[in-house]
Amino acid sequence: MKISRKPSRAEVPSMAMGDIAFNLLIFFVILAKAQDDSHLQWKPATAPKTEQAAHSRVSIVIDKDGKLYMNGQEIGVGQLAAAVSDQLGEAPAGERVVLLKVDREIQAQRFEPVIEAVGEAGGDLFRILEEKPVP
Amino acid sequence: MRLRRENKLLVEPPSSATGDIAFNLIVFFLVCASVQPDNGRQQNLPKSESKDEKQQQSENIEVAINRTNVVNINGTPYEGTAAAARLQAMISAKTRPEDKIVVLKAAKETSYEWWTTVVVWIEEAGGTITIQREEERTIMAD
Repeated sequence: MKISRKPSRAEVPSMAMGDIAFNLLIFFVILAKAQDDSHLQWKPATAPKTEQAAHSRVSIVIDKDGKLYMNGQEIGVGQLAAAVSDQLGEAPAGERVVLLKVDREIQAQRFEPVIEAVGEAGGDLFRILEEKPVP
Repeated sequence: MRLRRENKLLVEPPSSATGDIAFNLIVFFLVCASVQPDNGRQQNLPKSESKDEKQQQSENIEVAINRTNVVNINGTPYEGTAAAARLQAMISAKTRPEDKIVVLKAAKETSYEWWTTVVVWIEEAGGTITIQREEERTIMAD
């Protein structure tokens, strides 16, 4: 005698979709935070006629305490040129943009070596500034 | 007479939507938090310069700044916007691009705000910056 099997239906539980999306999002946010410098505190200097920054591979910050960061990670001035060069790789001119964010109170002895290092690495320096209101 | 019925049924919010609500809340706060300043100015970047170039540079305009509001242009002090006007006049008088190179010497204690202001004056006048650091190392812009 032949017994007919009942076809069983397996469905993906749609109830959990929201939680899956939530956890995925948290994962990517944490991943992105590792290279983010939005948590660093600095006040931009002001200048007239600023323009929108292009897409950049490297972001350098000197925060209000004078600490130097590259892509959110603290770094020494001595290592900066090599690190920027590594990040830029063989990128062609125009795609070697390096954003420089320096607190307005930082002194020349701190920021000039950083500018020099970016120059040594062959980066296209773009200084992030705040638009100065026209009087 | 018509009697009103009291509705004592418990109404629960649909729990299946909480994940979507959380998702949308996170996206909202992420968008709010990611607003960072991204405006600024491009700067021609310095390169190391040889001794010959340094000798040639002595004919260029020299600008010295410190933490005060005084700008020394070729050794003569100018205050504030008078310095901007003087730089404009001097740079626009030069015709060759190599003569428009301005040697910028900033004292160690010069703030980035003041440095940026002077650099913008030079750039607006059509000049190109060469940074000369106090430790005798000179870097030059294209």
